[in-house]
Amino acid sequence: MEQPTLIEKITHFFESGIFIYGITLLISYSLLAILSLIAILRFQKEDRYVDYNLLITSKIPVGISVIAPAFNEGLTIISNVRSLMNLNYPRYEVIIVNDGSSDDTLEKMIREFELVPVDFAYHKRLNTFPVRKIFRSSNAAYSKLTVVDKVNGKSKADASNAGINAASFPYFLCTDVDCILNKDTLLRLIKPIIDEPRKRVIATGATLRMANSCEMDEGGITRVRVPKRIIPRFQEVEYIRAFVLGKMGWSAINCVPNVSGGLGLFDKDIVIRAGGYDPLSFGEDMELMIRMEAFCCSQKIDYAVRYIPLSLCWTEGPSTVKILRRQRIRWARGLIQLMSQHRRLLFNPFYGRLGLIVMPYNFLFELIAPVIEAVGIIYYIIMIITGNINTPYAIMLLVFVYIYSVMITTLAILWDQITYKTYKSWRETFSLCLMPFFEMLIYHPLVMLFSLRGYFNFITGQKHSWGNMQRQGFSNTPKK
Amino acid sequence: MNIPVQTDSFFERFFRQNFFYFDRYPLVIKIAVLLTLIAVITILVAYSSILLRRFAAYLREKRLHAIHPHIDELLTEYVLLNEDAMMQVPVEEVRLQTEVFLSRQFRKRWQKQALIDRMIHFKKNVTGDISMLLTRVYVETGLDKFSMSKLKKMGWSSKVIGIVELTSMDMTIADVTILPLTNSRNRTLRAEARNAYIKLSKNDPFKFFDVTMEPLLMWNQLELFRTITTTEGLSIPNFARWISYSTNKSIVAFCLKLALHYNQREAIPSIIHLLNTRDHYLRADTINCLGKFMAEDAEEKLVHMYFNQPVNCQIEILKALGRIATGNHLDFLKNEFLRSTDFELRKNAAKSIIRHQALATQMIQELLSNATTENALILKHCMNPLIKY
Repeated sequence: MEQPTLIEKITHFFESGIFIYGITLLISYSLLAILSLIAILRFQKEDRYVDYNLLITSKIPVGISVIAPAFNEGLTIISNVRSLMNLNYPRYEVIIVNDGSSDDTLEKMIREFELVPVDFAYHKRLNTFPVRKIFRSSNAAYSKLTVVDKVNGKSKADASNAGINAASFPYFLCTDVDCILNKDTLLRLIKPIIDEPRKRVIATGATLRMANSCEMDEGGITRVRVPKRIIPRFQEVEYIRAFVLGKMGWSAINCVPNVSGGLGLFDKDIVIRAGGYDPLSFGEDMELMIRMEAFCCSQKIDYAVRYIPLSLCWTEGPSTVKILRRQRIRWARGLIQLMSQHRRLLFNPFYGRLGLIVMPYNFLFELIAPVIEAVGIIYYIIMIITGNINTPYAIMLLVFVYIYSVMITTLAILWDQITYKTYKSWRETFSLCLMPFFEMLIYHPLVMLFSLRGYFNFITGQKHSWGNMQRQGFSNTPKK
Repeated sequence: MNIPVQTDSFFERFFRQNFFYFDRYPLVIKIAVLLTLIAVITILVAYSSILLRRFAAYLREKRLHAIHPHIDELLTEYVLLNEDAMMQVPVEEVRLQTEVFLSRQFRKRWQKQALIDRMIHFKKNVTGDISMLLTRVYVETGLDKFSMSKLKKMGWSSKVIGIVELTSMDMTIADVTILPLTNSRNRTLRAEARNAYIKLSKNDPFKFFDVTMEPLLMWNQLELFRTITTTEGLSIPNFARWISYSTNKSIVAFCLKLALHYNQREAIPSIIHLLNTRDHYLRADTINCLGKFMAEDAEEKLVHMYFNQPVNCQIEILKALGRIATGNHLDFLKNEFLRSTDFELRKNAAKSIIRHQALATQMIQELLSNATTENALILKHCMNPLIKY
């Protein structure tokens, strides 16, 4: 019998490895789908009887600080701040951190909210760029508002840390000033914290969606719509999958890897003791979460991170490939940076679920996935060129992978529909349901390429420029 | 010698029978084909579910949209604008035309449910005789039995709905029915049953405070607090009973809030005694409660114990001294403000000094002129009426 050559051995090893990797990935997606469904149904069943007015009228509420960094948001800052000051909650403050804006963001706020500089005892528990002044309103109607004006720290993390330093309450909600929050956001996010029997809930999060094409009035959403442009629409589907299916699934087994920077309620004490946001990180939200979880493990704190399947925050997503590219390159850099920074946690049993599930999953199926995918495509092409491919088998496997990915995204949309009837018309729902069929062909390859570029930039040490998100803004006039 | 016969696996037989076309393919391809088929079916089922769910929701909304105005009309005409009720006729003697609520259009389960939901909605917005009239309609139309039947169902969610409906309509539930549910394994049901028990029990509404072993969660405390403080005619016990004897720390912490709410100053000795508890979270709650009571008797003890306490308790002691504000310990507060290395302690000491108002005017001026930049900033922060916290 003829001995296999070295190349044949390598080929066999590669194919077997990829096969096992692929199967594991598919199984984990299926498990996540099942876990998230269980979590969603449980949430829905219990939530039916919850009277959130209880908190509004409560005489013993938990205080929350809402922190929103702002950089050159002059166009929309007034309506955004107004929207943040109109949340339904009995005891909260709004802290806007003006991160050295070069436009008229600060001046507009001073004028509109009758702000005056005050002698504020700013406790610098987390290091940040210097704070210039702190403003409070002389009008009692805006007594919730504090504006921190600081030198630009070149990162959202630095501004958020300044907000945390100025915060008065034990919990803080971190958001972006241009995010549009549901009025009940605080009521909904505090509930898992004060209703947890055994663990200390260190963070809670909820679903984010695309604000593109939604109708707005006075800084609030009046009509949710599916984004009209194709790139935000793909992102809408991607967010639904990531939040409703992914994070709800992880939440069911207390393995949430990340609470989004756009919307997250945090335990301030743990955040400060863990060192706050890292201004040098490109994925500061996930980095903080990992550090908080690692801190809890090292301090033997029985912690939990919870997600709820409700859409509570709308954010404007990149509407062009160019802006999407910039965003995804930064996210990819953030992921690889995080993995290299916290590599000691990987497969480390001391860190429990974090070391044995969260980190390995993110390493194997988030960080490495684009690399394996790219290598697989190149290998495929070589096999085709050299004529070493069994065409019917290859087609059948491709069809399988394609259909499977469509199935997972479709399930995510179904889970989302179970939770909340977001879209008013059948047409909108149908247009969203079509997206999974094109995602793998159009959107996914783009995201993969941008991720690889992000890794390349990180490895070669290329300098990253934050760039401008170039927001389109929202129209305030509801459509007839 | 018996030669073992190689038999086909179930999987191979299944494929041979149902997918003979793929029979000659390798196992991996067969699995892929099978999973593709499952995925296709799942996708079809998912889309059908989305369609059906939307359609069902549409029908439900349409039905309710049609029936709600009709129910509102009937309730307004026969209950809210009832002529007898307007003439101050006693509720029991008011003539009610309950037959309009027993007509054909309220026979189906969903129609009955819609009627109950609207009644609860109305009841939340009215008080006095009209509220009692709504309860009469609820009983005389037999809807109470419909709600009661939910308590007998197996699922905890039905039981919760039944309890919520009955309590919202001010109906009594026999202790024998509700008491077992206060110890249910399901958290939601247990909490709802306890709320109902406090609201409806005629015997000893706070009985479960004695027997509860598990922690009373913050959310449950909020629910109970509202029920206790808003239920009319509830006889309020002396909460010192549980503050002194309960072994459940969360019950003790909750009773501290209730004692404070009802200004039960007779509980102060028990609360002072609780300062010896080993749990520093509970101790902090106790100090907070004493401060809000402005318990002068506790001042000496609080100052005496100050230096042996963790920071959270020290902060509460400083706050309490500011609330009690006798002026006896102004020098202690001043020392803490000047000497402490902890920012929060200094800030709370400054706040408490300022709370002494006229008693501390001279001290504040003195501190402002001699303090370090940071301490002066803290003082100014606390003195500024624009800064809340």
